[in-house]
Amino acid sequence: MSSWRTLILRIGEKSPEYGGVIDFKDHIDACFGVVRRELDHSGDEILTFLLQCSEQLPHKIPLYGTLIGLLNLENEEFVKKILEGTQKNLQDALDTGDCNKIRVTMRFLTVLMCSKVIQPSSLVVIFETLLSSAATIVDDEKGNPSWQARADFFITCILSCLPWGGSELVEQSPEEIERVMVGIEAYLSIRRRVSDVGLSVFEDINKVNKLHDEQDFVEDLWSRIQDLSKNSWKLESVPRPHLLYEAQLVAGKSHDFGPISCPEQPDAPLELSRINFGRQKHEAELKYPQRIRRLNIFSASKTEDLQPIDRFVVEEYLLDVLFYLNGCRKECAACMVGLPVPFRYEYLMAETIFSQLLLLPQPPFKPIYYTLVIIDLCKSLPGAFPAVVAGAVRALFDRISELDMECRTRLILWFSHHLSNFQFIWPWEEWAYVLELPKWAPQRVFVQEVLDREVRLSYWDKVKQSIETTPALEELLPPKGGPDFIYSSEDGDKTESTLSKELNSMVKGRKTAREVIIWLEESVIPINGLDASLRVVVQTLLDIGSKSFTHLITVLERYGQVIAKICPNEETQIMLISEVASFWKNSAQSTAITIDRMMGYRLISNLAIVKWVFSPSNIDLFHTTDRLWEILRNALNKTYNRISDLRKDITHLKKSVLKAEQIAAVAKAELDDAESKLMLVDGEPVVGENPVRMKRLKSHAEKTKENEVSTRESLESKEALFARAIEENEALFLSLYKNFSTVLVERLHETFGEKNLDHAGGDSEAMAVDEEETPAMETDKENGNSERNAGYIIGEKQQWCLSTLGYVKAFSRQYASEIWPLMDKIEEEVITESVHPLFRRAVYSGLRLHADQ
Amino acid sequence: MQRLLTFQLYILLYTRCFFIICVLLCQDLNKISAYRDRRFPGTQEEYEHALQTSITVYIGNMSFYTTEEQLYELFSRAGEIKKIVMGLDKNTKTPCGFCFVMYYSREDTEDAVKFISGTILDDRPIRVDFDWGFQDGRQWGRGRSGGQVRDEYRTDYDPDILYQRCGYGKLVQKELEEQRQVVDYGVGSLGSFQPPHMAQNHGRHSGGGGHGYGGSHRHGRGDYHRKRYRDGDDDHRGSDISKRNSEHESRRNSDHDSRQEKNPRFRESGDSDDEEDDRKRQK
Repeated sequence: MSSWRTLILRIGEKSPEYGGVIDFKDHIDACFGVVRRELDHSGDEILTFLLQCSEQLPHKIPLYGTLIGLLNLENEEFVKKILEGTQKNLQDALDTGDCNKIRVTMRFLTVLMCSKVIQPSSLVVIFETLLSSAATIVDDEKGNPSWQARADFFITCILSCLPWGGSELVEQSPEEIERVMVGIEAYLSIRRRVSDVGLSVFEDINKVNKLHDEQDFVEDLWSRIQDLSKNSWKLESVPRPHLLYEAQLVAGKSHDFGPISCPEQPDAPLELSRINFGRQKHEAELKYPQRIRRLNIFSASKTEDLQPIDRFVVEEYLLDVLFYLNGCRKECAACMVGLPVPFRYEYLMAETIFSQLLLLPQPPFKPIYYTLVIIDLCKSLPGAFPAVVAGAVRALFDRISELDMECRTRLILWFSHHLSNFQFIWPWEEWAYVLELPKWAPQRVFVQEVLDREVRLSYWDKVKQSIETTPALEELLPPKGGPDFIYSSEDGDKTESTLSKELNSMVKGRKTAREVIIWLEESVIPINGLDASLRVVVQTLLDIGSKSFTHLITVLERYGQVIAKICPNEETQIMLISEVASFWKNSAQSTAITIDRMMGYRLISNLAIVKWVFSPSNIDLFHTTDRLWEILRNALNKTYNRISDLRKDITHLKKSVLKAEQIAAVAKAELDDAESKLMLVDGEPVVGENPVRMKRLKSHAEKTKENEVSTRESLESKEALFARAIEENEALFLSLYKNFSTVLVERLHETFGEKNLDHAGGDSEAMAVDEEETPAMETDKENGNSERNAGYIIGEKQQWCLSTLGYVKAFSRQYASEIWPLMDKIEEEVITESVHPLFRRAVYSGLRLHADQ
Repeated sequence: MQRLLTFQLYILLYTRCFFIICVLLCQDLNKISAYRDRRFPGTQEEYEHALQTSITVYIGNMSFYTTEEQLYELFSRAGEIKKIVMGLDKNTKTPCGFCFVMYYSREDTEDAVKFISGTILDDRPIRVDFDWGFQDGRQWGRGRSGGQVRDEYRTDYDPDILYQRCGYGKLVQKELEEQRQVVDYGVGSLGSFQPPHMAQNHGRHSGGGGHGYGGSHRHGRGDYHRKRYRDGDDDHRGSDISKRNSEHESRRNSDHDSRQEKNPRFRESGDSDDEEDDRKRQK
């Protein structure tokens, strides 16, 4: 370990390498002193390492920038190479659409400008390149406005640089930066405002019009930058170590920075229909997603004293750390709590993490990552962070009825997991009032689902013990019992009981599936009928597999054929699912796992699962439990995973085919070559001169040809599978939407009439939701008094509609990429003129397709 | 024993830096498992390759009572699970604190290692590593007692040495344990906001921030010897456990208990050190 590495890495930290104190000047001096000595023999390594550090630890960029500025005084060549490397990085990042790298590299360049390493005008050239690309994209004639997401991203990148170098730019090239600002303003006037519809964590069902009077992300950042400029570019959150060395740095040679180019946006579709536009927009938004949507769950008093731009900078720091240090728990937590800012930001930090956990359509990482980060921060700041987290939970809980359905699920999964890491301690008494609410009240459902997940992660008695201060909540615990095997008691059907025992002993006696099928066909079905036989088989096999997940898998692997034989079609598969649900009625988890596995072994089709979920007795549970939605989610997820796996396999195989073709061609050429040479020597192909070599070449050519053929064959078979999967997928989503539409239509009419919620007006029942909204979120009730929520007044039918519509939106959003290709068909077959406007709106907002586009 | 201790100390000092660089440069986290399985039929390179492409994770330091369903609930949060294989004591055929989970995709496998290792399951900080792939037979514990080798290894050094090498005495241990008891969700004690701790020490020096909480203290939990009657096998399992090799069993039990009761924190602060040690050890 050479110490220059540690010094570069640990600069700005309270680490032993720097004597445990933070003093930027000392750190830079010490680091510079060592690095300059090593420059001669380890220049290349230092260069690579510095570039890596400044990309992956972006909150330290100002320190690296100053260090490079000082190195520039010593060794211009070295710094020139750094700039060449940076230029290459930036160009690669632009070409591949690597958003984080583009943003961070631009920040790095800004800081290098502050340290006199590059000319301000070079930086402005980069800004102008991005700006002009952005302006082209949103131009109706020359560009493709459906790709506005990219244009917005470029503008965001430019604006994001200004906190790091705005004052230098204004001082050194006032006219040029002014030109950029005017350009951005012009851009803002051409582009369309981006609506949050379909992606906001809180659904304001009564405020569809807010779209027109609320700033979107780019406008918001623009106004923060304007404030900053009015404040003479002064801010607290960006360290400016280069000022300490100003006198020296001016002597450095400012280098030029080579030109960069922005990628072309795809052509606009020839036929500019609403759906074509939406499809392209979806694609662009996937590639250039908005990084954060602020949650604002804490009252303004917690963060108000911050300048708006400081808030933005801290969010940038936190998001960068979360991104670059994922998987390094200690480093990640240490960086998060040790940002280089002179103010406290624990509320902001919690808000930022929760905004990621709940980010729609998808956070950059799986939600479990944020669970881990929150756990680690609670341990790092035991005096402060747990209370902040609890405040966030209370705030979200109070607004749970407005929370997007997907977010509710994420919150339930996170919260139960979080508590399981902290001994299940929570002041449940605060929420005891949910027992007085009807069983469909979102608060009550939330508590019930959290407890269910806690039991899954732990065990019933333990969770029961954790709510002992509020024993009444036991009512919301899932049932304690295990499986419900209908033949275990004496009062079951005697004949079926006997058959079950017989089957059981056949299984214990290791009879094969074949033998069991023969037994069924010859002596059970003819006498007892299909229904009874199915019940006996399913109940008995489930009972045998009930001890654990592995027992289940074993029994399904061994006797799956028996089930397949007796449940060959959709109708019988639905009976099978019902039997599973009744056997496992005490365990939502086992029901879900069993159905999932059966779908895995293709004993149940995804269509059968959809049909069963929408069967009459289940529909009535849509708003009171997550049980059915979990099963539906699993089925969609599994279908999606199958398709993605096939896509990956096919891409991989296509590459292999190409490679195999090349290898085969080379082998063939070698062989031909050798043959022709022989001919030249003897006038005819006599295999005498070097028969060993000829034989080898021949067999090699044959082998490579065979390999090519077999690779191509496996590609073809995968493609056939893929085609089938695509058909299944299409059928699945059509069925899903049809079922949703059918169950919703009547209830929506009963509840909301023909009205669209937009026009429901103040007298509609829908306004009842408003009663619950408290404008500025008074989350300061640290005594946990939530009485105002006790007056829950949404009727059952209305809640049913809201929950179900919420899931329509959530599923549409989550699988948008799979749904878009089917959209023409869905419009034609499902979302016809006759569907209820609220249903249409739920689908459209999930897909972010706006009726007015 | 003494030699082992010195070795550990040396590794701790050395690997800290190694790990840090690794963090920065190996973002993809080619986190090679700490533990080199001596039964792997191949070279070191093949072993590493197996780990880098593996879709199996090894989970250790589990409670003997943790069920497959609990594992499923936790590990399915990293991705779709293909299979779970519980590690069993080769003598008693009962779970002995480790298992394998197999995923369908490499990405999910990596996420399980990155995001679940070191978190709590059934009151115990579990450890999650890449594994070279399950083969029949590996479900049996290989320890001398029939239990798990890694457990024995850990049992040999873990709690005491950790504290010795960090210079913690019994007093500090006790203090740590008191802090753990109180998880504050009550009045926000912002007054005790700590200056950020840096990498090496976070979580260990908790300062004085852990006092003055209102609400739910819970001392002693008294459910360690719980028995869960989840299925008919439990009685069977119970009697099996009591039949076990008495000397080792009592040592392990006391180890479990003391770990949780005396100092439930040991693993959070020690887990990554552990990995670092092992990483080095593998080199």
